[in-house]
Amino acid sequence: MKISDLNVYRGPCEVLRNLTIDIPKGKWTSIIGPNGAGKSSLLQGITNILSTTGYITIDDVNIQNLDRKARAKAIAWLAQNNDAAEEFSELTVYDTVMLGRIPHQGWLHIPSSLDHQVVQESLNKTHTQSIASRFLHELSGGEKQRVLLARLLAVQSDILLMDEPLANLDPPHQADWLIWQKELLAQGKTVVTVLHEIQFALKADHLVMIKQGKLYFEGASKDPATHRALIALFDGRIHLEKLGNEWISLPV
Amino acid sequence: MPKHQLYLKLLALFAVSLILIALGCVFGSTGIDWRFTEVDRTILYEIRLPRSIGAYLAGALLGLAGAIAQGLFRNPLADPYLLGSASGALLGVGIILCLSSVGEYSLVTLIGINGGAFAGALLGVLAALLLAGGYKSSLRLLLSGVVIGVIFSAANSLLTFVRPDLYQSLQSFMLGNTSLITWNANLMMGLALIISILLTLLLSPVLSALSLGENTARTLGLPLDQLRLLLIAVLALATGFAVAQTGLIAFVGLAAPHLVRHISGGRQRVQLILSSIAGGILLLGSDLLAKSIFAPLEIPVGIVTAVLGGGYLLLLLRREQIGIRK
Amino acid sequence: MCGFLGISIAAVEVIDDRGKTISLASPPQRLISLLPSLTESICALGKCNHLVGVDRFSNWPLSLQNLPKLGGMSDSNLEAIVQLKPDLVMVDKSSPIISRLEDLRIPVMAFEIKTMADEERTLKKLDLALGSKEAGRVWNQIQAEITRANKQLDGSQKNMRVYFEVNAAPYAAGRSSFIGELLTRLELNNIIPESLGPFPKINPEFVVQAKPQIIMLSETGVTDMKKRPGWADIPAVRENRICTFKKEQSDVIVRPGPRMGEAALILSQCIAEKSLSSK
Repeated sequence: MKISDLNVYRGPCEVLRNLTIDIPKGKWTSIIGPNGAGKSSLLQGITNILSTTGYITIDDVNIQNLDRKARAKAIAWLAQNNDAAEEFSELTVYDTVMLGRIPHQGWLHIPSSLDHQVVQESLNKTHTQSIASRFLHELSGGEKQRVLLARLLAVQSDILLMDEPLANLDPPHQADWLIWQKELLAQGKTVVTVLHEIQFALKADHLVMIKQGKLYFEGASKDPATHRALIALFDGRIHLEKLGNEWISLPV
Repeated sequence: MPKHQLYLKLLALFAVSLILIALGCVFGSTGIDWRFTEVDRTILYEIRLPRSIGAYLAGALLGLAGAIAQGLFRNPLADPYLLGSASGALLGVGIILCLSSVGEYSLVTLIGINGGAFAGALLGVLAALLLAGGYKSSLRLLLSGVVIGVIFSAANSLLTFVRPDLYQSLQSFMLGNTSLITWNANLMMGLALIISILLTLLLSPVLSALSLGENTARTLGLPLDQLRLLLIAVLALATGFAVAQTGLIAFVGLAAPHLVRHISGGRQRVQLILSSIAGGILLLGSDLLAKSIFAPLEIPVGIVTAVLGGGYLLLLLRREQIGIRK
Repeated sequence: MCGFLGISIAAVEVIDDRGKTISLASPPQRLISLLPSLTESICALGKCNHLVGVDRFSNWPLSLQNLPKLGGMSDSNLEAIVQLKPDLVMVDKSSPIISRLEDLRIPVMAFEIKTMADEERTLKKLDLALGSKEAGRVWNQIQAEITRANKQLDGSQKNMRVYFEVNAAPYAAGRSSFIGELLTRLELNNIIPESLGPFPKINPEFVVQAKPQIIMLSETGVTDMKKRPGWADIPAVRENRICTFKKEQSDVIVRPGPRMGEAALILSQCIAEKSLSSK
């Protein structure tokens, strides 16, 4: 996905300016930056939740010209902290995941056997098949997050955007999430995440740094130049250490 | 919920509905009169049957509208009247009453109180939409509805101040009245109900998707704004048709969806249909009680719906079927 | 005689319908009435010229046109009332302004007029309070008019089943209301039984079952009434024995005041006409 000269607006305010980013296909890109930099807004701009000017293309196709459904099938988005109206949600887990199939369904939105199949697979993958008939509002934070991830998977899009996907997940499930990531990448999907856990961000292939509404740096995550930029981004308050094959970050 | 369980529940509710309609033919101004065959044919076919069926249809329209309102606004306190349709309808009736000069067969007499209520209800919702600038956000629309409701209520108060002789007629409209429903009215309400249900079932995926949040629903490729406007239109129409025939009956639209929520298994389409049936049963049941407890005196039916609906809700709350979250 | 004892004994003491005693040193000169039937009663007793202000709805006799209007039932204009410096204010028992007036030391007399007997009593009390002596004459006149109205009807018209609709809810006039009493004096058969009270809200089906031969209501409600399901078969509707009242006539009929006799005449006249036209 190529983003050129993108400005993202929240209402009348410009929250992101002149972004030009190259998101590599089939790789995991992590967007990182201080609070309020505009990371979530970037994802919302790509999914057309916030209005934008500029270009966003996928494989040289300008997605702004795509109709709603095509766009929905191409890009799936996971909201941060689940902005659902929680109190009143009377959906079951199964039905929630089935909602992810909406872009693929016809006018009447009657689930086909393929839809059921995909939903089952998504449930299995996120280990939520055992709670499939429970209601969303009965679940713990971690369980709910896994269900929402399953919903995301059910869309079967080539590009997945995830805003804080690790929220509420305990370490075992965070580890599970990494496994799903690897599987998704192995299938050739493009994943873009907004993460504030720098450890996980460092495991990505590509890092995009946003500061105060502008692009700060963009580069491969293993690249020393990227590391220097990352340290500068956080005003020298972090220190990067190589541990085996991985890099970890420690506060200074 | 397994299919056969659903069908069983539907069947049971239908059976209850039919029984109530049959009872409606037996209950009347003479109280509970089991001597069915001795009742005057006119009374049976011209009055009791259309009244019972009409009360059911009006209740079904209100129940459906209530379910739509609660689904659209994600708010358990939403009812069909919250976008200014109630005060709009009342103002419509007031204006028609004001303008009816005696003996003249003018446009006003043609429209009549029913037409005035219907037009008023629709105009109320339209005004709320215009004030909010379209369905940009639920909060904005709800606030507009409240504002329009207040403005129209004030206009109504002004009307009754200037024409105090209209006050009693307006009062009876406000409390709701099922006693004068004709076969013609039933035809209109029946058609309205069928169309509303079909449209709502078609549009219900929007309601389900909205429970994930507005933004997520948008990214699923749904034309959210258009679909929501359509749902508002269905809401306004269903409410308008009900209110035109029976006046402003309180509580049916609010209570019906809650009464069936614990048996609808979370499926939006099921919830919508069951709410409709529940609304019909609630209003018809209330009508039966209203006309037979102190026959031939009639209790305003809105009072009975409040007692019945409210009572059952209290029961459900005590049994903790509603409102329990971790 | 009592004056030089330094004790002021009230010239008049009246007990109003609340059971409260109102003491008046001399017949009040400046009167305010906030209820049409009271206004009409006061004028019938010959004290019209003492009225300095009336409520918005008092519209008879026409000489009242120029008097300041002091609001309706629930929104009486307290300031205006006080500014007029009344000696006595006469209101309905349910008026919310009573305690405020008494706080301001303005004498208030409250009445509750729901039946003919109530009006008779009211006339007598007004007589006492206002120093007129006309109550007997007025009441006799009312009775005479009612009797005359009764005589206007022949045997075939009496005992007809009648239904009087007060408004379109529908609220009917029962036998114990003053309208019902008039109907009884005209020897008509009110389809609403005594047990239902003065103004019951009834099931319209009941009217269809009772098959009244005469229906009485205000003219604004006629077209809708005929459209009600099953009502076309009611004898009164079929034979067009529907008495409709214009606003001025309605005013006379719904006020339990000195024009009750006139009300009876309006009713009987209508019945006589309708019987002729349908013969």
